[in-house]
Amino acid sequence: MFRFLRLIPLVLVMTFSVIVSAGPLGIGSVATPEMIAGWDIDVRPDGTGLPDGVGSVAEGEGLYEAKCASCHGLFGEGEGRWPVLAGGEGTLDTLHPEKTVGSYWPYASTLWDYIHRAMPYTAPQSLTDDETYSISAYVLYLNDIVDDEFVANRETFARVKMPNEENFYVDNRPDSKNERCFENCADPKAFEIVTTINGLTPTGHFKEDSGVAANHYDGNPSAASESGISKVKNDTKIVLSDKANLGKGVYDMACQACHNPGIAGAPKTGDKAAWVSRIDQGMDVLNGHAINGYQGADGVMPAKGGNMSLSNDDVINAVAFMVELSR
Amino acid sequence: MGKIYEPSLPKLMEAIATEARGMKGLDRRNFLKGGIAAVAGLASVQIIPKASASPNLPPNLPKWQSHLGPGVVSKPYGEPAEFEDLQRRTVPWLTVDAASSISMTPLQDLEGIITPSGVVFERYHGGIPNVNPEQHRLIIHGLVERPLVLTMDDLRRFPSVSEIRFIECPANGGMEWRGAQMEALQFTHGMLACCEWTGVKLSTLLAEVGVKPDGKWILAEGADAAGMSRSIPLEKALDDTIIVWGQNGEALRPEQGYPLRMLNPGWEGNTSVKWLRRLEIGDQPWHHREETSKYTDLMPDGRARRFTWVQEANSVITSPCPEKPLKQSGFVEIRGFAWSGRGKIKAVDISFDGGVNWERTELKGLVLPKALTQFSYRTTWNGQPWLLQSRAIDETGYVQPTLKQLRDERGGWSIYHKNSIHTWNVMENGDVFNVQIS
Ligand code: HEC
Ligand code: HEC
Repeated sequence: MFRFLRLIPLVLVMTFSVIVSAGPLGIGSVATPEMIAGWDIDVRPDGTGLPDGVGSVAEGEGLYEAKCASCHGLFGEGEGRWPVLAGGEGTLDTLHPEKTVGSYWPYASTLWDYIHRAMPYTAPQSLTDDETYSISAYVLYLNDIVDDEFVANRETFARVKMPNEENFYVDNRPDSKNERCFENCADPKAFEIVTTINGLTPTGHFKEDSGVAANHYDGNPSAASESGISKVKNDTKIVLSDKANLGKGVYDMACQACHNPGIAGAPKTGDKAAWVSRIDQGMDVLNGHAINGYQGADGVMPAKGGNMSLSNDDVINAVAFMVELSR
Repeated sequence: MGKIYEPSLPKLMEAIATEARGMKGLDRRNFLKGGIAAVAGLASVQIIPKASASPNLPPNLPKWQSHLGPGVVSKPYGEPAEFEDLQRRTVPWLTVDAASSISMTPLQDLEGIITPSGVVFERYHGGIPNVNPEQHRLIIHGLVERPLVLTMDDLRRFPSVSEIRFIECPANGGMEWRGAQMEALQFTHGMLACCEWTGVKLSTLLAEVGVKPDGKWILAEGADAAGMSRSIPLEKALDDTIIVWGQNGEALRPEQGYPLRMLNPGWEGNTSVKWLRRLEIGDQPWHHREETSKYTDLMPDGRARRFTWVQEANSVITSPCPEKPLKQSGFVEIRGFAWSGRGKIKAVDISFDGGVNWERTELKGLVLPKALTQFSYRTTWNGQPWLLQSRAIDETGYVQPTLKQLRDERGGWSIYHKNSIHTWNVMENGDVFNVQIS
């Protein structure tokens, strides 16, 4: 909100010094328009907060495929268990409701705001305003909400209507009405007792021979470097080079989301079979692919894992870490 | 032959214990079990029965009494005894990535109403940011007279408050809308904790910035990778919202929003934005992702409730429970927690027959608004099976509903706010199972 402040900073600074008087306790400093402008990233359904900029469905397609499709699927169908972004129309009142941007979200502004603040998952707030317009437009297009000619800017985007908008209403609880009855409150003959399905829950910490031992995030080693990668390390007793040691932090921050579980075609770190022919290409090729990104036979490796704030050396160190664990 | 092992038995025990010390939880338990079984095996063959008992038991002098222990500050920041197994745990298949996931509080192991900071359940959407408190800022702006930027030192200068309040994820129990799934109390109810929180009332900060007359909503935003954001109505902010930096007598834990978080007592945990960096006052809600796509409740007619903030009255029996079966017949105190986002717990009732007949329990300890409240019922168990239930009543007169009542209203797909009466099936052998009665 209040992005117009950026346009007229001078006038504002002046008005500012006139109107600002200390609060009752006089604690804190004045938040300047510059400070606020940098952090004030939110967008509202009436379009307030949408910045200058422009982006088309056409431009969005390539950006989406490079930065989003590895998790959310080429058509928004979701790779593996990553969130589905498109489809599901007409399912909300069925026994298998599918809540997506198109079938469920009441406002398009939410999409702009969320993609801009939180996506791509591994590199939040890395998209420019134009890129966000393009990608948001493309996700709307995947949901048949705009056509392939759509060009998004502050005006056109604020006019987009979402099909499910009218189907939200404000909380009307308390809805259920139980009574504080003490005797013969239910008919035991009508009881149907449903028991728990065994084996879905981690129980190793209290049941002997439960067969379900995991009590940490073992199902997905990206949990913590402790339970994931360093376990690989301990099992195989690998001594890491200095470079690889430096790369570990980068890896945890920018690469593990895809390379720990091996999603969307990413070779799993530590999986020797998946890496042997890749390593044969030589470090220069691997580093180049990791820094610049590429479309391989298995999927898309985004440049620097989608995190453009990394230096080339950061990425090279991370590759060293991955390769040393996977040899 | 036998003599070879006799003198070395305590040493063997010690070796096992020492080795187990390096292991955590599950590993340690299994290891200890195996180790002790092996030793016991040796013992029964090699040692006369009297000596097979622990050398630390009466009439023997326990080994820890025969020499000095470590001195002061051997651990400048203490930790639980090595024999304890207090841990957050998760169900890995619930979410796709640990950086946007949930872990649960070990309610089965808690003593009293305060949850130790280290085991408070975790929920993030973008991992735990490593925030440097000296560089952390809270900006308050929008429809205000004086937009302010506050350092942590600034914030601590305001008059502070300390309150004991629960915090609960609205998805607590949400995996069981359509059937019993979770085999443990930690997973059926563990997205819940209760701490003493210290900070400044948001109303105090709002007075400092001066809210303009058309300011009606507040956007709270986090400094995490998810940029977590929620719209909070001004009435709540002026009522009891706290901007928190202290938890259970020390700084917030990183997992809980260090160095600064919002706390909206009694409301769904997601509104209590962690790593709080910005409050914007506006005239309308923002309808951000966590109040549209998520944290809205889908009803069977395909429509959805929004702004379902309050956590309605709920309760659960924590002893016995699947993790804490009944081991002895005879006297038993049945214990549990009740809590309500609308205020104080007025009463808790208990049923042994799946809700046909009910008895009153006794509340014990502190009975605070929007806080975990303990209840107790003393009885005798002689191996009879029970369908154990508890039912909370809060000071508004609201009675915790049955699962059937909730499903009749909301169907099975609303994910959030499942606060129905819970059933433990206590078997003849004392084992306890999670079941649903419909
Ligand atoms: C590494 C995997 C990954 C990549 C790449 C990625 N996302 Fe996501 N996305 C996620 C995860 C995980 C969530 C859910 C986060 C949470 O739990 O809060 C998500 C959530 C979303 C949602 C909200 C879904 C809903 O139903 O609430 C949208 C929209 C979205 N992503 C768009 C994008 C766009 C656009 C891009 C590319 C710019 C992108 N994502 C790249 C993993 C990814
Ligand atoms: C959004 C998912 C994703 C992220 C994040 C990601 N990668 Fe990848 N990466 C892939 C995929 C998919 C491939 C396989 C592409 C193929 O060969 O088809 C890959 C392949 C690679 C390869 C092998 C290249 C080759 O030529 O065989 C390297 C090295 C690599 N990634 C390094 C990194 C590094 C370093 C990071 C973090 C800075 C990273 N990746 C982050 C998805 C990802």
